[in-house]
Amino acid sequence: MRQLIICGLAAATLASGATAQEVTLGRFFGACEDAGTDTKASVGEACIIQSIINAASAEIDGVSIETLPTDWGNYYDQIKAAYAGGTPPDVHVMHRHRIPEFAGIGALAELSGDLEAAGIDPADWSEAARAAVTHDGGIYGVPMDIHANLWHVNMDIMAEAGLVEDGKPVLPSSPEELIAHAEQVKEATGKSYLAADFAQFPLGVRMVLALLWQQGDNIFTEDGTATLDTEAARRAVETVTQLFDAGHADPRLNYADSQQSFLNGEAAVLVNGTWVVDFYDAEAAKEETGLDSYYVADFPTLFSEGATWADSHMWAIPAPLKADDPETYQAALKVLAFINDHNIDWARTGHMAVRNSVVDSAEYAELPHRGEYAGTAAIATDTPPSERYGAIQDVLNREFQAIWLTGKPVGDALADAEIEVQDLLDR
Amino acid sequence: MPLRPKIGRSLSQAQAAYALLLPFLAVYALFLIYPFFRGVWISLHDWNLLEVAFNPAAKEYVGLRNYERVMWGKDIEWSLFAAPLIQLAGLAALAGAAFTGWTGRLSRPTALALGVVAALVVLIAGLHPGEEGRWYDRRFWPTVGNTLVFVGLAVPGVTLSALVLAAALNRESRAMAALRTLFFLSQVLSVTVVTLIWQIMFSPRQGLIANITELFGGTPINWLTDAQFAMAAIVIATIWWSLGIALILFLAGLQDISKDLYEAAALDHCTGVRAFRHITLPNLKRTITLVVILQIILHFQVFGQSHLMTQGGPNDSTQVLVRYIYQTGFRDSDLGRASAMAVFLFVVMGAFSVIQFIVGRGKSQ
Repeated sequence: MRQLIICGLAAATLASGATAQEVTLGRFFGACEDAGTDTKASVGEACIIQSIINAASAEIDGVSIETLPTDWGNYYDQIKAAYAGGTPPDVHVMHRHRIPEFAGIGALAELSGDLEAAGIDPADWSEAARAAVTHDGGIYGVPMDIHANLWHVNMDIMAEAGLVEDGKPVLPSSPEELIAHAEQVKEATGKSYLAADFAQFPLGVRMVLALLWQQGDNIFTEDGTATLDTEAARRAVETVTQLFDAGHADPRLNYADSQQSFLNGEAAVLVNGTWVVDFYDAEAAKEETGLDSYYVADFPTLFSEGATWADSHMWAIPAPLKADDPETYQAALKVLAFINDHNIDWARTGHMAVRNSVVDSAEYAELPHRGEYAGTAAIATDTPPSERYGAIQDVLNREFQAIWLTGKPVGDALADAEIEVQDLLDR
Repeated sequence: MPLRPKIGRSLSQAQAAYALLLPFLAVYALFLIYPFFRGVWISLHDWNLLEVAFNPAAKEYVGLRNYERVMWGKDIEWSLFAAPLIQLAGLAALAGAAFTGWTGRLSRPTALALGVVAALVVLIAGLHPGEEGRWYDRRFWPTVGNTLVFVGLAVPGVTLSALVLAAALNRESRAMAALRTLFFLSQVLSVTVVTLIWQIMFSPRQGLIANITELFGGTPINWLTDAQFAMAAIVIATIWWSLGIALILFLAGLQDISKDLYEAAALDHCTGVRAFRHITLPNLKRTITLVVILQIILHFQVFGQSHLMTQGGPNDSTQVLVRYIYQTGFRDSDLGRASAMAVFLFVVMGAFSVIQFIVGRGKSQ
């Protein structure tokens, strides 16, 4: 009898092993070793997404997911090489800004006809989220979030400088006020007003872009003319560089160092994205971190209209999978549906949810600090779509770094940047 | 019965040699020669990495246009004072080559090789866009320049420190054997580990170097994000990393020098630094040439240190050729241009191999 049971069990495992459809998955966000399957308990982007993936692998019948090892910094290079070699992952995460490049040449599967059958309701997506995955009228992915630049605020420093009213930080409304606040902070506390990665990762670029958009301008037009060497761009850059010149911010800090300086309580404001809200919240709760009173604010409007840099994470399926392997394609859709169902869990990172039903839920409203940056969704902005997005960002990062790290005159840097962006748009 | 001798006869020595070489040649042709010529072929096309993968017909033959777009520009002129310092140095080297070749202090081929390189430096550095002109690719030549600076710092750095270490460690004691192993160990690490270690070392907040500077009351340097120090930082990491092989080669060279020479010199009161200068160095000449050429070829291909530690920044000050090729190929999907640059790099490294060949032959004559 015992033997019979063992044989039966073995046969069952074999059978289920044979029917489980393996889905390979590519993602950035970093590694998380022991994410588990509890999507409510994990902290930080890497562990939250991995716990959702682990849960999907465990809970979807007949589907097992293999997360491929990828490196964040070189993610798109790896994905492109995989497409070029004919072996892209069955589902992979990407940014909205990459859709023109990938969908433009037919690399991504068009999903609009298959979403409802898989249990995904595109009507529930917010308008901005639907626009994020739409290209030439087709839907090329399942959106997961809208993320944007925020001002992460150390309330203790702000209070000491007299910049707190009704429990909220007083933020500048003009470039002049920005420098005035910075001086207030320096006088009262001797600390820096602002920290951000101006040296490597393009957070400084995104800050300048926001200040440019706030003046109703952009770095290039929809029809492909670079417009960087302008008065507005100069004002945007100088709004930032005045802080460096007066010693209110250090342009040489990279991502890790600027974040550390904020967590050590050495800077009043850190400019960084929505992706760190839950992490900083957890850090602020710890005894040993210098940051004790943490607040999240919308990127302030220093010029005429509100704007902050924003993008979207979304999940896509390669076109060849849909064409050649319907079974894996269906399994991949199930994975996307599972991730779509767990939009609230992903929002715990600090990202803005994409489903109206989630945004309107009480659970979403109760997420830490959520109410403090409720205005961000309305001011989320990005450059016009371009297949050269990555290269253009690199040009801006290089030329802006030249301004604040090597003392290149603003006019020269903007003129050079305009020529190079135009070259890229013309290619 | 006569079958066996027949087979033996039918395989001459040359044939046997070819038969034995065949497996190597096949692998070599498949993985090196074929990809090389395919690279040259791609460099003659407008070739988008992704587009061609989905539609093989999406490439277009453009002849040498990729080379033009990368290396040339609009309205390019030549003058002797475009880059006066570099060109003057080139002229001086040219005169030096002519003089040493004439007086016979260097062998003819060596002097000729030196002269050609110097003339090329004078010529290439003299090119610049005119008033209305511009380089089509404004980053290419500065990137080549950065690569040369990196090679120019890393090669002497590695060679000198390896030479000094080898001379110091060339003793038969247990401690020295342990130290030799220790110094070689860094070579075993992969570039990711090396750059991680040095990123932490250079960090102005948690790094060892910053801590030491602060101990002596200085302000820590932002090594990796300061344009003045970024190149130095990746050179330092590179020297630490690639010391091992040079060290081993020098140790082998040192052990080839007969002890008798040192004993004879000691009788003439020539010891220590003087012995190093008059016995060790002349006897190590061949090893030094080998190490220098190997290092030059190796360090022209620098990628990981720049890519992982500084991302080519700040303001492109550590952007090197292979990283630019990588970005052009994968970030910009422009395989044609990337291949054109790769062919350029091949030509430069090939030139150094030729120089090594000429210099080596000059010696043995």
